[in-house]
Amino acid sequence: MAKTTEITVWATGVVQDKEGRDVCLVLTEAAFSEGFFTQAFDNYVDLPDRINVQVRKYARISDAEIENKFEYENHRPNIIGVAEATIMKGINVCKGLQDGGYLIINSTKAPEDLLKYVPEKERKRLKAIACVDALGIAPEQLIDYSGAEGAEDVSAIGLGLGAAMAGAIAAVSGLVKKESVLGAAANRTAAKRGYDEVKIKVLK
Amino acid sequence: MKERYKKYIVEIPEEMSIPYAGIVESPKVNGEQPMMLTGGWRIYRPVVDHDKCVMCKSCVLACPDATVLLVDGGQKIGFNLDYCKGCGLCTWVCPVNAIDRVPEIDFEDGVPFQDALFLLPHVEALYAD
Repeated sequence: MAKTTEITVWATGVVQDKEGRDVCLVLTEAAFSEGFFTQAFDNYVDLPDRINVQVRKYARISDAEIENKFEYENHRPNIIGVAEATIMKGINVCKGLQDGGYLIINSTKAPEDLLKYVPEKERKRLKAIACVDALGIAPEQLIDYSGAEGAEDVSAIGLGLGAAMAGAIAAVSGLVKKESVLGAAANRTAAKRGYDEVKIKVLK
Repeated sequence: MKERYKKYIVEIPEEMSIPYAGIVESPKVNGEQPMMLTGGWRIYRPVVDHDKCVMCKSCVLACPDATVLLVDGGQKIGFNLDYCKGCGLCTWVCPVNAIDRVPEIDFEDGVPFQDALFLLPHVEALYAD
């Protein structure tokens, strides 16, 4: 039975559109270099993209051919990334989370402080919650639509905030190796600092 | 009017008709369009310093979502935080700098918590175990 890991990244519209996409792309490129089957795509329902609206970016990493390749939404994610912590206040980002899932947030706060925004049902399923100050590590938030809707990115992948987030997700979940994440991100330093500086609170 | 044009006149129900001059009423607190709540977009909340405020009402005109309210019988400026998306235009237009932008995450309340965005009944089942 193929094991597919689904990643959902929440970001703010326009401002973090590229950064949210980069989190998924850095992780999938890193996994692809390790020989995994990968897929990264945007949410179609969130469009049209408006400034600061909550948008979702998806990634799938599998050790065999991805069966649900043509499903355009991750309904049951294993890992959830939140590129802007305030999003959690208005919406249940963990909806549909699978048992033993991870939640990684870009915030200067401690993971314990943000746990109150996760409803009881989803909190029981969380294996670990982690915070990384991705905006402090890499403050660049480039607005670039060239990589949207399956087209190729003109600017490099993982220039700013996204690289630090991807590093943190790799560190918490152990999904991909550190070297492959550093190889996939254009901003090597940010990915390395994200990997090293993430604050993890293990819940079970 | 000539009799033959009568068949082209259609009665449009009130809720489907466009209001006079295209002016839509401001969103009401705790009501109206639950699918269109934009409070969750807000990263910086507008906070009024009532000592500085001179009640020029520039912010009322500037708000694109009509979420700036006149409270206390029109004596004070307030905000409808269910729909304010924190664009910061009120701060920008204020002539006496009475409106601050404070990070939303530092407040305990103020944002309507939604379980999901645009969730249709047949999609709800996909999220279940």
